[in-house]
Amino acid sequence: MKGRIFILILGAAVFQLSCSSSYQTQSIQFSNNRIYASGTVNEALQKKMLPYADSVNKSMNEIVGICYKTLDKKQPESTLGNFIADAMLFGAKEKYQITIEAAFVNYGGVRIAQMADGPITKGKIFELMPFDNLIIVQKIKGDVLQQFLDLIASKGGWPLAGISMGIKNKKAVAVKINGELLDPNLYYSIANSDYVANGGDNAEMLRTIPQLSKGYLLRDAIFDYIKTFQQLGKPIVAVEEKRIVYVE
Amino acid sequence: MLNRRKFLQQSVLTAGSVSLSLPVIARELEDLSEVNRLTILHTNDTHSRIDPFPMDGTRNQGLGGVAARSQLINQIRKEGDQVLLLDAGDIFQGTPYFNLYKGEPEIKAMSEMQYDATTIGNHDFDAGLENLANQLTRHATFPMLVCNYNFSQTPMEYQYEPYKIFKKGKLKVGVLGVGIEMKGLIADNLIEKAVYSDPVRAANETAYFLKKQKDCDLVICLSHLGFQYKEDKISDERLAQESENIDLIIGGHTHTFFDAPLRYNNKQQKEVIVNQVGFGGIVLGRLDFEFSKFSKRQLVNSTSIKIISK
Repeated sequence: MKGRIFILILGAAVFQLSCSSSYQTQSIQFSNNRIYASGTVNEALQKKMLPYADSVNKSMNEIVGICYKTLDKKQPESTLGNFIADAMLFGAKEKYQITIEAAFVNYGGVRIAQMADGPITKGKIFELMPFDNLIIVQKIKGDVLQQFLDLIASKGGWPLAGISMGIKNKKAVAVKINGELLDPNLYYSIANSDYVANGGDNAEMLRTIPQLSKGYLLRDAIFDYIKTFQQLGKPIVAVEEKRIVYVE
Repeated sequence: MLNRRKFLQQSVLTAGSVSLSLPVIARELEDLSEVNRLTILHTNDTHSRIDPFPMDGTRNQGLGGVAARSQLINQIRKEGDQVLLLDAGDIFQGTPYFNLYKGEPEIKAMSEMQYDATTIGNHDFDAGLENLANQLTRHATFPMLVCNYNFSQTPMEYQYEPYKIFKKGKLKVGVLGVGIEMKGLIADNLIEKAVYSDPVRAANETAYFLKKQKDCDLVICLSHLGFQYKEDKISDERLAQESENIDLIIGGHTHTFFDAPLRYNNKQQKEVIVNQVGFGGIVLGRLDFEFSKFSKRQLVNSTSIKIISK
């Protein structure tokens, strides 16, 4: 009995103490520090990474092509975006040997902001398209294509090839395919990554549409596209050509 | 707190009387005048950037790299303050290191740098949940925190926690994590049977537990929700305003470079700080918190937190 009172008193004292005060933030000093590789580095960690770096360099430093002018990623349209969408349309046509009207790359799927002029390494293409995404072809009705293009418009514009359009109030307007206005009743064959064709990046309208797949990686299409420039002895060029514009 | 309890216990036990808690009061008064410091270092969306960005004339050339980051972290640790090193997810994907090694060098480097915790980003699913679980089991010395995903039907079952409490000197810091909605963003086959729930609700419940039941002095939310969106979508900005008991949100996903941390008022009209440092390990975020001890009565009427550029 005596013991129990004792614990009670002790409990009360601890309770009071733990609740009577607390630490509170008074000030925050911030510095978002840029990390410069030219400064000193942790050599022990560098050494630990070396075996990985060696084999990455060995397999990825091969020069696959030459970029004529630095390509940039931006919205609604960009040189880097057009390059990758053109590569996709080119690769899809070659691989499937059917008429394919257009190709699309989700904006978030372009993983570098710039591709520098000069030699392009294999590793750079892996950075541009690190995902093992397959090229999928789907035959879709014009009205569904319109929905898909509205999604692209609402997201500020994605890289695309074979189509031109305007963005107005987050909708796709004045859509032209092969120079003709989009017909909601016609069927079009379009190429997407399996990620988008399976409903990724909110492309829900594509999810249930039958898919053609040849197990062809989008990244491999880019390599094949670059090869055609190499074979012609030409550097890679991509320009903005008003595939997507804002209209008011 | 533990030491003080022991001290109290001893003094009460030896004297057998409550009146001798006087030394305790004296000690409490002493504590009130003292300032505690905690340095929070953070990254987000490092995306397999083991090496610095190459010197190819692009805008990030010569920046980042794990060896340089580690050096900077070590220098800061040498300053002697308590350090908490945190990450807000998307450790994986972006350089050939990930295509070849599926995250092993990334996790190893983070363990080497003594990260205290990370949360899960959508790209950490990219080589499958089994791969993520394996990489963490084999190479991580830090936990992956997320309170709004349920991984119990997946290979990640034993490789995540909703929160973790850190003792840093006299401070008790609760850290929790929140992840972005998976559907529509992550391929179905990669999501497997992982279940997403409302991040605001999960974060508030966890933060309440940490602040009120575990008496944490500071509650930090690691978030991979993204800073802000044009469309109606939950973001760090909205989480901050709809939250309770969270003091700091370390964000990611949108690759946003903040010039300075931002402050928002939460549901209780208390300040929440939000920070995010771009991507690729280009920037190491540093927030030096200064704490003073106050009585709970004073806390309610506290003034705005000073945010100073270092």
